[in-house]
Amino acid sequence: MKKNLIIIIFSVVSTGLMANGAFERVMGESIPAIFSSDNPENLQQIINKLDRVGAAETDRWEPHYYVAFGYLRMSSMYDNLADKDKYLDLALEAVAKGEEVLPDDAEFETLRGYIQMMKLNADPANRGMQYSGLVFGSFQKAIALSPNNPRAHFLLGQMQYGTAQFMGGGNAEACATMSKSLELFAQQTNPENPFAPSWGKESAERSHQQICKDSE
Amino acid sequence: MIKTWVILLLLLFSYTASSQSLISGRVTSKSGEPLVGVNVYLDGTYDGATTDLEGFFAFETYEQDSFNLVVRSIGYHKASVVLEDHLSPVEIELKEEINELNAVVITAGSFNASEGSKQEVLRPLDVVTTAGTTADVPGALNTLPGTQTVGETGRLFVRGGEGRETKTFIDGMLVHNEYSPSAPNTPGRSRFSPFMFKGTNFTTGGYSAEYGQALSSALILNSKDIAETNRTDLSLMTVGVDASTTRSFDKSSFAGKVQYTNLTPYFALVNQNLSWDKAPEEFNGNFAYRKKTSKTGMLKLYTNISSSSLHLYEEDIVHPEIQHPVTVTNDYAHVNASYRELINDRWGLKTGMSYTRSKDFAALDQTSQEELLHGFHSKLAFDYQHSDRLSIMTGAEVIGTNQEQWLIDGSTALFDFNELITATFAEAELFASSSLAFKVGLRAEHNSLTNRQYLDPRLSAAYKTGENSQVSVAYGQFRQAPDRQVTYLDNEAANERAQHYITNYQWSHEGRSFRIEAYDKRYQDLARYTNVFDPTTYSFDGRGHARGVDVFWRDSKTFANTDYWVSYSFLDTKRSYQNFPGSFTPSFASAHNFSVVVKKFINSIKSQVGGTYSFASSRPYNNPNEDRFMSGRTPAYHDLSFNISYLYSNQVIVHAMVNNLLAINNVFGYEYASETGENGIYAGRPITPPAPRFIFLGVFITLSKNKGINQLPNL
Repeated sequence: MKKNLIIIIFSVVSTGLMANGAFERVMGESIPAIFSSDNPENLQQIINKLDRVGAAETDRWEPHYYVAFGYLRMSSMYDNLADKDKYLDLALEAVAKGEEVLPDDAEFETLRGYIQMMKLNADPANRGMQYSGLVFGSFQKAIALSPNNPRAHFLLGQMQYGTAQFMGGGNAEACATMSKSLELFAQQTNPENPFAPSWGKESAERSHQQICKDSE
Repeated sequence: MIKTWVILLLLLFSYTASSQSLISGRVTSKSGEPLVGVNVYLDGTYDGATTDLEGFFAFETYEQDSFNLVVRSIGYHKASVVLEDHLSPVEIELKEEINELNAVVITAGSFNASEGSKQEVLRPLDVVTTAGTTADVPGALNTLPGTQTVGETGRLFVRGGEGRETKTFIDGMLVHNEYSPSAPNTPGRSRFSPFMFKGTNFTTGGYSAEYGQALSSALILNSKDIAETNRTDLSLMTVGVDASTTRSFDKSSFAGKVQYTNLTPYFALVNQNLSWDKAPEEFNGNFAYRKKTSKTGMLKLYTNISSSSLHLYEEDIVHPEIQHPVTVTNDYAHVNASYRELINDRWGLKTGMSYTRSKDFAALDQTSQEELLHGFHSKLAFDYQHSDRLSIMTGAEVIGTNQEQWLIDGSTALFDFNELITATFAEAELFASSSLAFKVGLRAEHNSLTNRQYLDPRLSAAYKTGENSQVSVAYGQFRQAPDRQVTYLDNEAANERAQHYITNYQWSHEGRSFRIEAYDKRYQDLARYTNVFDPTTYSFDGRGHARGVDVFWRDSKTFANTDYWVSYSFLDTKRSYQNFPGSFTPSFASAHNFSVVVKKFINSIKSQVGGTYSFASSRPYNNPNEDRFMSGRTPAYHDLSFNISYLYSNQVIVHAMVNNLLAINNVFGYEYASETGENGIYAGRPITPPAPRFIFLGVFITLSKNKGINQLPNL
């Protein structure tokens, strides 16, 4: 009898492990692919895969985060405004879905700001004034939610740089924000959740170099 | 031991049963075209695939309980297919979703300036960054086709209609007396600051059954939602000062603006051909409160209060040495509350109430006139979304107007009326496909003064002729009470009526848009009289027509950082109304109106510069010395205006504007003495602007933690 029990327990445990393992496996292979994929067809496949995971795992926010990030990348693969907007709107939808699971989160707020920033960049002449307030608002809200979020600082620095380029007035402020983001990236420890966003360090280093060189 | 074997067998069986199977098939649209990038998967599992360029998909699965295949694609209705087995390939057809991105929009008679609106030909900011418009909503709309330049009023004259034939609605609620008072023959401004609105829908005809009591045009303004950031703004201008603040709370926000305008210093510097005793002075307060009452509910409260006065001397037409004192004062309050909520997935509700009190006083010599208006409007409407192809809107409203007029000229005479209009309306919007849409509406009105019922149909349709082009048509019947002067003396004066027929073609593609619209408007039941002060001469059988073509071209793409638009309107109109001895073109109508607006952001000087050129052909006027009625013609009108907004820093902007830079002598018309002089002729004089140019300078300062915010959008 004891043996039977052990077998039953073993089989239950192993199927449980398998289900868990599937989430880890699919996320583990899809996240790097979201960042590396270089054509829309392939990217759509990875997004769809993450979307399926998000639909099945109703209590996980991570799939939605990377779906949003995927559509953000997708928008940059198109040149015309209508396509860009289509994918950026899908990205915003995914952010909203993720926030249903994880409300008031700095990572989602940062991503929303990033998406709005891309909307601004798609048509700066017409959107500059309207969107710059939205973008700054998102990054500031994200920093208020999580004062040590490196990505929020990195993108805020980018936005300050862009604004300074446009308005004049030097890059000192943007450079300071960038330096702060590098500090925060350095402190970024391996999070408990391996799928939590961790991107941005290299880009921040490149931006820091450029912005702080220009500010001298 | 046997039991152990059974368990092991069961485990083995479950393993073989979960052996892999292949699910495959093809996804197409209803019209048979393959759909690419569709997400196809077994519900509740990770197992699925994405369709290829030919619409094919295939994936392997170990699942055996899930037979529900989910098929999702951007722009199509999600489909669920129950598989009979996991073996045979499946063919799936998806039905196109009709959404804001792909649906045709009925554009006949409508200029929409809303954030994110796909059919936009005008953006919200345009209202305030157009040179020569002095941040006045009607001023900016006057650069669009379908309007006539009537420089001495500042109002919107749409397609051969008088200024009073255009009505303004804020969040669906009627605004009475929307213009600030002004000296005789000088333009009045809209009381409502454009910075309050996120969207403007300017209709030049054929509008929805929801709106009534406007013969020619409805100007539908939608106020901004909850503010996200705190800010304080200060403006120092040659015409006055204002201060505003916006506070954002958890689920609500408050915005307030106080404004003081005084033209005394400006008139001291820039010579005016009016002799001012007291230049226009105005106190104006705007207060807005927004609250999110639930995830989908929004309550908006808005108040505008103002008090203004001016005093000047007007030259006598016959004896220029005689100066008649003129005094104009106005006290105004408008309160507006609106509420929207989604009752469930399909039903939505909107309701609102507005109240306006306006007290006007005008005196010329010993004669004075005082008017007190109480206006009330309440509305309740429901929206039913049957599917993405059919939606129905229905509602009811009550518009009450209580107006009194005292004429003091030796003796006192009092006129008044108390009008209550009750109306119900319903409108259905039907999409045959994403390329073909119909709107069918009906409005029923009852007027308490005439005790008559009116039934007015409104119909429109649009068809997408290509990826970037479409045609729309509209027909509608519209009614409006006659000029209040007529209603004062004849409380039972019948409503006037207009019928609109509109055909529109629109093309737009990546920053360029073109539209051309032809219309025919027929007026009936217009008030006629030989003497406006003698109601026994009234009859309500006047007729008229206005026909024309409006052309609009806008391009923000061809030249870098430059946006320009060109408008042309042709108008052929005649009417027999008022004291016209037959059918004539009224004095506000000009056959040709043309304008060009250019805006450019120049990075090197951190400035936005703009220019506007407006032209209007001659307008008729009646010279009582001539035998023929309305035989006079004014010279054509030209105006060239410039503005510049300089970004001194992120949050400090300097703005300068000059209207009529070339100081062209524009003549709007002529006015004549009411009696002949000693020489037997009626003395007359031209109606001209009070100064050839209008110059404006201002410094706009924003205080906010959010560095992305400044007042440029408001200029």
